[in-house]
Amino acid sequence: MTRVLVTHADEPIGRRVVKNLYHDPGVEALFLLGSGPLPRKFDAYLAGRDPRVSYTRLDLAKHRPVHDLFHSAAFRAAEIDTVVYVPRHGASTAVAEPLVAGLSERTAESRLLLQHCLETPPIRSLVALSSAFVYRLPPGNANHLSEESELNLDPTAMPEIRAWIDCDMIFHGEIHNDRLRVVLLRVPTVVAAGGYVYFHPSLSGRPGSRVRALGFDPICALVTDKDVARAVRAAIHTPVSGIFNIAGGEAVPLSMLARWTGHRSVAVPGPLLGVIDATERMLGIGSHLGARGGAHLRYGFTLNTERAAAELGFRSQYRIGLARAGDGALRLETASI
Amino acid sequence: MSEGEAPQSVGEISNPLLASECALGHDPFDDVASYDPLKERLDQLESARGLAADERSRARRPSTSKRTAAPALATRATAQPRAADASVDVVREIGNGFARASSAAQPGARRATPRPVKPAREPDNLARLSRRRWSTTPRLAEIELPPPKGWIDRLLDPEQRRIMAAFAHLVEGESLYDRFGYSPEVMKSTFLIFHTLYRLYFRVRSEGHERIPVEGPAVLAGNHGGLLPFDAAMTIIDVALHTDPPRLVRAIVDRWAGSLPWVNVFYARSGQVIGTRENFAKLLQEGQLVLVFPEGIEGIRKTIAHRYRLRDFRVGFIEHALRERAPIVPVAFIGSDDQSPILFDIKPLARKLGLPVAPITPTFPWLGPLGLLPYPVSYRIVYGEPLHYHERFGPEGADDTRLVRYLANQVRRAVQLLIDRNRK
Repeated sequence: MTRVLVTHADEPIGRRVVKNLYHDPGVEALFLLGSGPLPRKFDAYLAGRDPRVSYTRLDLAKHRPVHDLFHSAAFRAAEIDTVVYVPRHGASTAVAEPLVAGLSERTAESRLLLQHCLETPPIRSLVALSSAFVYRLPPGNANHLSEESELNLDPTAMPEIRAWIDCDMIFHGEIHNDRLRVVLLRVPTVVAAGGYVYFHPSLSGRPGSRVRALGFDPICALVTDKDVARAVRAAIHTPVSGIFNIAGGEAVPLSMLARWTGHRSVAVPGPLLGVIDATERMLGIGSHLGARGGAHLRYGFTLNTERAAAELGFRSQYRIGLARAGDGALRLETASI
Repeated sequence: MSEGEAPQSVGEISNPLLASECALGHDPFDDVASYDPLKERLDQLESARGLAADERSRARRPSTSKRTAAPALATRATAQPRAADASVDVVREIGNGFARASSAAQPGARRATPRPVKPAREPDNLARLSRRRWSTTPRLAEIELPPPKGWIDRLLDPEQRRIMAAFAHLVEGESLYDRFGYSPEVMKSTFLIFHTLYRLYFRVRSEGHERIPVEGPAVLAGNHGGLLPFDAAMTIIDVALHTDPPRLVRAIVDRWAGSLPWVNVFYARSGQVIGTRENFAKLLQEGQLVLVFPEGIEGIRKTIAHRYRLRDFRVGFIEHALRERAPIVPVAFIGSDDQSPILFDIKPLARKLGLPVAPITPTFPWLGPLGLLPYPVSYRIVYGEPLHYHERFGPEGADDTRLVRYLANQVRRAVQLLIDRNRK
């Protein structure tokens, strides 16, 4: 029986992970961290005289609150042995990436969390979610990538992708740690029923128009939030460490994914993307049109998940497709195979 | 030696008369005449296999150890060339006997002692799906055609529609695209256009389709020519039309093409794949038929004076073929070097513009982009006998750089000889 801490449990992917772990008989207790108020969905989990779940509101990017939490009596009493790092799924692209002491928020969180996991003896496992957008993409509409593929260390890469790479490398540095088992799960674009998109540099956030380079329509590997939660669960219970690609069976072009998820994909000549991005930044309105992403995301990828299948026993179980909703509109749905 | 007679050994190929006939600049074996890594490697592997086979047989069934000894030697001894086709014989001899005789012709070449069958655990449905070794297409006779939908379906004849329906099976489940971006719907319209070119414009003649493996991974290695890759397009159509179950050829495309707007999308949707190691390996692991032009970009840079003279082959395809246990089928494309004869290649200009070639042809740049279009030459495609190097050297042979280079030269010679035999 394990006792698990889950970060950003109030966010969509965090909620999905919590739900999956709550129904897992192998998980004894859940210690949830979130930056917002308690989600109403958790009311059922917290009901009863001796709930298995506790929720704490915390800013993971700040040193003092995190330090206080890991040294608190409540945390010691919880006897947490496994930490699941679910990153913030990324605010709307309209909002600039927040910085903490010169680092992106995600990088600051990763550093603090890893440091405290290493310093807290009862914690023996750390499962971290990372993005597959960390890979360097050679030219091509679809590249098949494995865990050994190169990372995109190009300094001109998008800030969001650079933040993902920083987090990835922070955790990667402790993969061979003897005391702490570190599992790094690299996921591509995560989609959820209803057409929600997470972990995509351009399509995350509210529906709207997104620009992309004319003549390029990269293939996007997809995975459902339910499969991500299953992969996290598999990583918690399997005594292995290392990096694993997690992906579903579907891969669709960017324009189709945008259409499925309620976005409008507008193809713009490549040189114009830079002009649009510069204009948006000059006006201080963030990146409503995703011009920065459009300029960088010309090439697509799919992931080799054989290692996850062999070592974690993970195979995607959910298909992604369009289904007609009650109002007659076609919406993205996920269904079990 | 008469013209139609096949050379009998590697030594004869270095004969100046034959060398001029082969139109090779020089014999690649001349450089390695003093040292033959192939023989050394063969000896090492055979001695290792002999030992391993002895140990295995002693451990399993002590009474039958004599029957299982040295299977590799037995296979080599039984691989006799057929006398049916001179060009095929040449290719087999160039391959130093590694082209496998057909099982029907040589039933004795099979393993003499069957291995004991282990009782396998019955996997669940999901596991069985994921363990499926190869992407397969059904036979044409097994396909029931639905009524035609749309004008493309109406323009395709029933057999072509069956081929397209078979190709749709390469995309798993109800997905619209495979992992490399291939779309069966786009392939339909592409097939229609290129099939018209195949029949009416290039008037393609081909032979040797029976040498293309019916299933499992295989590498087609051929010469490259012409400014636009119509040789690959014609091969895709030709193989689709002449194989049952139909096989989709996945051509390996240079990375440069992947950075071109629209072109990269078109290539991916029609089943072509950018040439990275991961892509190549995955295609072979899935049991697909991969077309490579080992000359690379150098192949299309050839001027009219050097047409049909193969440049040095790259070696990556040999490594992958050995690792994934795929036979290599040499292919000769006759006509591709004539479709856009290059008079001059202005290399400094090409470098400056970031292009692989800056050609001057009889029509380019004088007619603008239209000058790049191929002339209506007649194409001839000849498939050679498969070279089963993986059976002799195994996956570990891919780590021996000298051996890999040597085998690449062997394939190059096989393709060159196919060209020279069939150009007349």
